[in-house]
Amino acid sequence: MVRFLSATSLFGPFLANVRDGRGMSAHIWKRGDFRLLLVGLVFILAWGGIGYRLFDLQGNQALANAEIGFDQRIKTRSIDPPRGTIYDRDGVELAMTIDGFNIVVDPMLLDDPAHAASVLAPFSSKSYEELAAEFEKGQATGHRYAEIAMRVDTQTRDIVKAAVEDAGIKGVFYRDQPLRVYPAGSVAAQVIGLTRFDDNSGIEGLERTFNSELEGRPGRMIVEVSGRGRTIPQGEVLIEESVAGSDVVTTIDREIQFAAEQALRKAIQKTSAIAGSIVVLLPETGEVVAMASWPGVDLNARSDVSPEVLRNRAVAEVYEPGSTLKMVTIAAALEEGIVTSKTPIDTPRSVTIGEFEYEDHGRNPEWMSVEDVLSRSSNVGTIEIQRRLGNEKHYEYLLAFGLGQPSGIDVAGERHGTLDPTQAWTLTSGSSIAIGYAVGATALQMAAVYATIANDGVWTEPYLVSEIIKPNGDRIRTTPRTRRVLSPETAAEMRRLLHRVVETESGTGRRAMMEDYTAGGKTGTSQKFDVDSGAYSDDTIASFIGMAPFDDPRVVVVVVLDSPRGTHPDGADLSLGGASAAPVFAEIAQIALHQLGVAPDRD
Amino acid sequence: MRRIRWVRSHSTALGGEPLKPDLVLVLTYVTISAIGLLMIFSATAPGFEAAGEDPATELRSQAIWVVLGFIVFAVASTINLVELKGFASPFYLVSVVLLVLVFPLGESDGVAQRWIDLGRIQFQPSEFAKIAVILMIASILAAAERPIKWNTVAHVLVIVGVPAGLIFLQPDLGTMLVFAAVTLALLFVGGATLRQLGFLFVATVVGTVGLFQLKLIEDYQIRRLTAFIDPESHSLDATYNQVQSEIAIGSGGFFGKGLFEGTQTNLQFVPVQSSDFIFTAVGEQFGFVGSVIVIALFGVLLFRLVVIAMSARSRFAFLVTMGVAAMLAFHIFVNIGMTVRIMPVTGLPLPFMSAGGTVFVALSAALGLAHSAWIRRNSPVGE
Repeated sequence: MVRFLSATSLFGPFLANVRDGRGMSAHIWKRGDFRLLLVGLVFILAWGGIGYRLFDLQGNQALANAEIGFDQRIKTRSIDPPRGTIYDRDGVELAMTIDGFNIVVDPMLLDDPAHAASVLAPFSSKSYEELAAEFEKGQATGHRYAEIAMRVDTQTRDIVKAAVEDAGIKGVFYRDQPLRVYPAGSVAAQVIGLTRFDDNSGIEGLERTFNSELEGRPGRMIVEVSGRGRTIPQGEVLIEESVAGSDVVTTIDREIQFAAEQALRKAIQKTSAIAGSIVVLLPETGEVVAMASWPGVDLNARSDVSPEVLRNRAVAEVYEPGSTLKMVTIAAALEEGIVTSKTPIDTPRSVTIGEFEYEDHGRNPEWMSVEDVLSRSSNVGTIEIQRRLGNEKHYEYLLAFGLGQPSGIDVAGERHGTLDPTQAWTLTSGSSIAIGYAVGATALQMAAVYATIANDGVWTEPYLVSEIIKPNGDRIRTTPRTRRVLSPETAAEMRRLLHRVVETESGTGRRAMMEDYTAGGKTGTSQKFDVDSGAYSDDTIASFIGMAPFDDPRVVVVVVLDSPRGTHPDGADLSLGGASAAPVFAEIAQIALHQLGVAPDRD
Repeated sequence: MRRIRWVRSHSTALGGEPLKPDLVLVLTYVTISAIGLLMIFSATAPGFEAAGEDPATELRSQAIWVVLGFIVFAVASTINLVELKGFASPFYLVSVVLLVLVFPLGESDGVAQRWIDLGRIQFQPSEFAKIAVILMIASILAAAERPIKWNTVAHVLVIVGVPAGLIFLQPDLGTMLVFAAVTLALLFVGGATLRQLGFLFVATVVGTVGLFQLKLIEDYQIRRLTAFIDPESHSLDATYNQVQSEIAIGSGGFFGKGLFEGTQTNLQFVPVQSSDFIFTAVGEQFGFVGSVIVIALFGVLLFRLVVIAMSARSRFAFLVTMGVAAMLAFHIFVNIGMTVRIMPVTGLPLPFMSAGGTVFVALSAALGLAHSAWIRRNSPVGE
């Protein structure tokens, strides 16, 4: 055994030649010196250790290691299709997506962080010091990502790129980041809404309501990436095609929308109102051609955007409509044949029902015809007509006119309003609702109510999106729901009555008169209910809802002002709808009718 | 019977041609170098391709070094070690001077100063210092009386200490450890007493602990050295490299993924895949079988060196050969051990395979010197 392990037996053949006695000196290694062999043994042990470890890694753990490697290499990437465009009714872009970029730096690739920081700082929201510190920290910690400028357009990208190339800086990357822009700026801002910063998904307005149509369907792709995150070109496998977003065509008319916003802003300045909204509706079709809210915002100035300025007040603010709702009470009574326009109604100074005493504004005769009750906006007279109509019938008509339920408008954030069922009505509910209290409605709901009169008694669901154009060119057109509420005759009679509100000497809506067109409409002034004190305050919601031309209305316009104050130069109290809201109606209706190409019916 | 026939054939050949090379050694050396070039190409081509450059960029520059290395090996093989002994001291002095010059003239690679820039070529003096130290120790121990005296040990330690200290200051811990390993191996086979070796062992342990305690070793070096034990607890680059290397080698499995199919290595998940981690390219593409063949080739190389040492006629040649063997063995074990995470990351290259010019040439020269001991094993010795 010992002999077998001895150096001679293992290495004999190699050593033999030096023992063949040619008179040369003997080799230096002596047979008894096992130190050399011990060194050899160390080599063998070391090699054995590596061999065992290799067997462990490549034999026992091979599958696990291969899986880890696969997971590192193979990634699923989502392919985001371009988001659809939102158009106005003439095909002009209101919201569109353009190429944009995020400029980022991998600090590990920078040769000179300070130099890179000095070149990039002018384009960044960060200062030179901040950038330099971030780059150096990245180099020290291996954090390979620093943001320079986010969401810049192609032009800015090109400027930065030129500067970076001139300075010979490596490690700057330009990542695609599509940008959502709003060419019309503040026009129809609350209707269009907004998308989220990072993924461009809609969070307000039409962007939100039609998000799934606009965003399309992202595709998926399996890609093989390198250790540096680079995609290997031949390693791409498409597993699901992306579907481009659909375009959305709105019913908005930019000119009318713009005019409505201008008029609203002017009115708010004049009356010191805190907020307001306007709806312009085409009664024959239900198309909303303008929907304005104040306060407003330029959608491209992201830093100014807040929930307050993005609120689409025409659908999101519920108010007590006040006298404008008297129209429903009277229309129902006419339709039911309970009264005619000429039926005389007793109108004492006040009437007490339960704990409430209702009285009229100003001085009214002791009795009035139904048509005068409307034109003089008599509370007492309307309450008497409601008493004759009865709660059940009244409630039926309120529902038929679309109150207390969503209008079905296709924009985010609509509120239903409030309308209790008759079982929940108290002794005073019928009287209060008859004159527009104890019921909540949005400006849009009220627009649809008046559009029913304008449209010969047929209620039509209002809508903002007329068409969705799919990427393949298919068009989905909106067909609104409709229902008959009044006979055409009653509707025509109501238009005459509303015309009298504007045109007669004693009418409350005389300031709604236009130069070029006849009009019909109704003023409304409701005291604001102060939630804090639990009582009605002195502030008012002043409104005017009208249609023009009165015999064949082409537009219905709702103007609502929140808390207008002050006095008109001619002495009128601007907190009243007839003084503050009616002139706004006249201004907008005139512009809208001209824009729609309606021939003037007044000389 | 067999043995006699073998002896006869050899002795006749030697009689006629005194400069007959060790074909096994030469072929092994050339084969390893060729595999190295192939691995460098496979590991770097996809990266260059992706960057729109010539995929053979690194292959070409390394091939030039390999050819140069072959020439140096051939020249060194013809050197008579006995004559070289006289040059050990000047060679040693020159390499110490070069090591000093690294500091004022040197190029930093970001962490350490190791390079001297010679225009287009970067030169790493520490590689040649390794050879100088081997020659120097060998000449001291060859001339020393037996048994080795304590002052001889002290002489050796001073001779090693100067270049090792300079390299420590660069700092290049891995190369310093090469010096330590070579010194210990030479003292061991050179006849130091067990008491001396025991003292050196204790001194090394105490010294290392002392360096740690005095914080003379940079934090990153400590982390690098300790991170491999528990990689999950460190998110260091060094550990990341090792884990990636391990995944790449492991994913190769038994037979490997095939040449140019090494997705992990070639797609640059494994960093410095053409130099320090070149072995991962072998492990991933050729699997366990290929890895074993490569380490077996290195085994043959070392085996031949031991055989050459055993056949040496002079103590000097014996010690030089063993020094070269120890140096190569340490490089190979530490490097491959690093890629399979049984050794820490030290930055030592894999001899004859890792990309790198100075290293290839210097190690070729060292191998050539050992080879010359074989070629001249029957020449008269002047000791």
